[in-house]
Amino acid sequence: MIPCKPTSRKLTLFAFFIFIFSGIQLSAQDGKALFQQHCAVCHNIFKPMTGPELMNLEERGPWSDHNKLLEWVHNPAAFMAKDPYTTGLHTQYGIIMTPFPDLTLKDVDAIVSYINGEVAAKNSPKGPTTGVAGEEKPSTSSNAVIFGVISLILAIIALILMQVNSNLKKLSDDKEGILRPEPVPFYRNKIYIAFVSIILFIVGGYYLTKGAIGLGRSEGYQPIQPIYYSHKVHAGINQINCLYCHGGAWESKQASIPSVNVCMNCHKAINTYEKGPKLYDEDGKEIDGTAEIQKLYKYAGFDPKNSSSWDPSKAQPISWIKIHNLPDYVFFSHEQHVRVGKVQCQTCHGEITAMNEVKQFAELSMGWCVNCHRQTKIDFNYDSTKGNKFYSIYEKFHDDIKAGKMDSITVKDIGGLECQKCHY
Amino acid sequence: MKKSLIILTVIITVIAVASCNRVRRTPGRTYMPDMTYSRAYESYASTDALKKEGVFYNARPVTGTMARGDEMPFPISEDKPGDTVNYFASRQVKNPLNVASIDMTEAERLYLVNCGICHGTKLDGNGPLYKGGDGPYPAKPATLVGDAKYESMPEGQMFYSATYGKNMMGSYASQLTTKERWMVIAYIKSKQVKVAVTDTTAKK
Repeated sequence: MIPCKPTSRKLTLFAFFIFIFSGIQLSAQDGKALFQQHCAVCHNIFKPMTGPELMNLEERGPWSDHNKLLEWVHNPAAFMAKDPYTTGLHTQYGIIMTPFPDLTLKDVDAIVSYINGEVAAKNSPKGPTTGVAGEEKPSTSSNAVIFGVISLILAIIALILMQVNSNLKKLSDDKEGILRPEPVPFYRNKIYIAFVSIILFIVGGYYLTKGAIGLGRSEGYQPIQPIYYSHKVHAGINQINCLYCHGGAWESKQASIPSVNVCMNCHKAINTYEKGPKLYDEDGKEIDGTAEIQKLYKYAGFDPKNSSSWDPSKAQPISWIKIHNLPDYVFFSHEQHVRVGKVQCQTCHGEITAMNEVKQFAELSMGWCVNCHRQTKIDFNYDSTKGNKFYSIYEKFHDDIKAGKMDSITVKDIGGLECQKCHY
Repeated sequence: MKKSLIILTVIITVIAVASCNRVRRTPGRTYMPDMTYSRAYESYASTDALKKEGVFYNARPVTGTMARGDEMPFPISEDKPGDTVNYFASRQVKNPLNVASIDMTEAERLYLVNCGICHGTKLDGNGPLYKGGDGPYPAKPATLVGDAKYESMPEGQMFYSATYGKNMMGSYASQLTTKERWMVIAYIKSKQVKVAVTDTTAKK
């Protein structure tokens, strides 16, 4: 059992270290929990918010002494009366800190060590790299160009070879003394002409028809907006509800574009883009999200260094470019579709949560509208608690469903194809 | 002559193919633009032409008027920066709605759309934007349920914050009407009561 002894000693040593490290881990965890519970509402570690940033706080004011820090945290108003540093902070931020009399000296130590740990993690080069590198860089589609050039070159070669062939034939004929009539050049050859004109007719007709149908339709329209606003980041990754910004879709004809103050609800605090994936525009150029937020601040007249003096009434509207445009002679109401019809936004607008730059997903043609009205079933069931009581007026349909003559009611059955539903 | 013709064709074809970019940056043409694009002022259309004609228009309701069916406006005005007098005065304001008759499913929907993103669907101050410190929002949103400070906060003071904003939170007066804001606050209060009750029963 001799060789066993050192192993067991090692094991106890190992267990001892694990114990120590888990202890450290635990206090850091505590610091994080305490920080989030008490401080994070007003303080960020790295930037000033409602209160000053907490990075390197031990180097400022009297805070190297944690007892003083505790005294301040227990009763800020009383501490401020005898401390010029905190009085200065009060004039700068215009607010006195909320007292936290429950915190102990140990809690304060844990919070400060958590803050120092976060600062060290950010400063170390091995720190967590922000953003997922090289994610979904759009491939440049130069394939079509290459194919076009190759087929063009092949066609030219074929033409030259044909010319060479006829020349050689003529030479050999001359040598053998056979007299043939001068060959007709290909551009006067009737078969060639007929062939080319038929192809022209088909190709031209295809593009003419396609162009004529496409007049007034803008499927795939993807204008460059004044700010690179990514719906993927906002509605996709950060799960902001569509109605948060486009609340009008629930209660009016228009889905409504949010005014700048709605953007600033979050962007008053979020002034850098660092935690999301890298952004690219449609040409594959990388977008600096932080610079785009700065553009918003320009419209809002907001200075992140002096956020408390922001006046929302001075903001300028952002001139977003309208993508989805129905002709003036078509009536469309978002409320009818979203609230009453319970149609999902994505049904007509596509996978908005995956779009960086929004493009028109549907063709918005009349055939497209009518087709949906033909297919969409209506939830005809209602009682006192749920469902739409309006549908009770369609007594015949309810009777038919009961009698088994119809299995479902579509929008078409309640007048969804009447001209004057949308054109009046 | 022939050579130059071939070169020209090649160049034109290459340009034509290359310009067939899959990104469409223009809306295209229409048959009758005056029927497609409204002659009348549509929502969000520029009203600069009105200004040139000397017509005053700022898209705001006339001062002193209110929307039909909405509640009376909040009687307390916003504090000046650095002042908290009105914030504390708002404690006295009571919810003008009859709480028992509020449609709580609608109030919950309003909460989830407008507030849940920061304050969390469980009202725990941990919505998708904060995500326990991993989200993009740098400040911890208020813990509406489970924090004594907010559990004991009078509804009038909550309404003040929702109307004018407080600390990092912005004003929601443009997104929610007076009535809707009171509905949301009634919803939050109902959730707080429920949790408080279950907590005391658990201790017993």
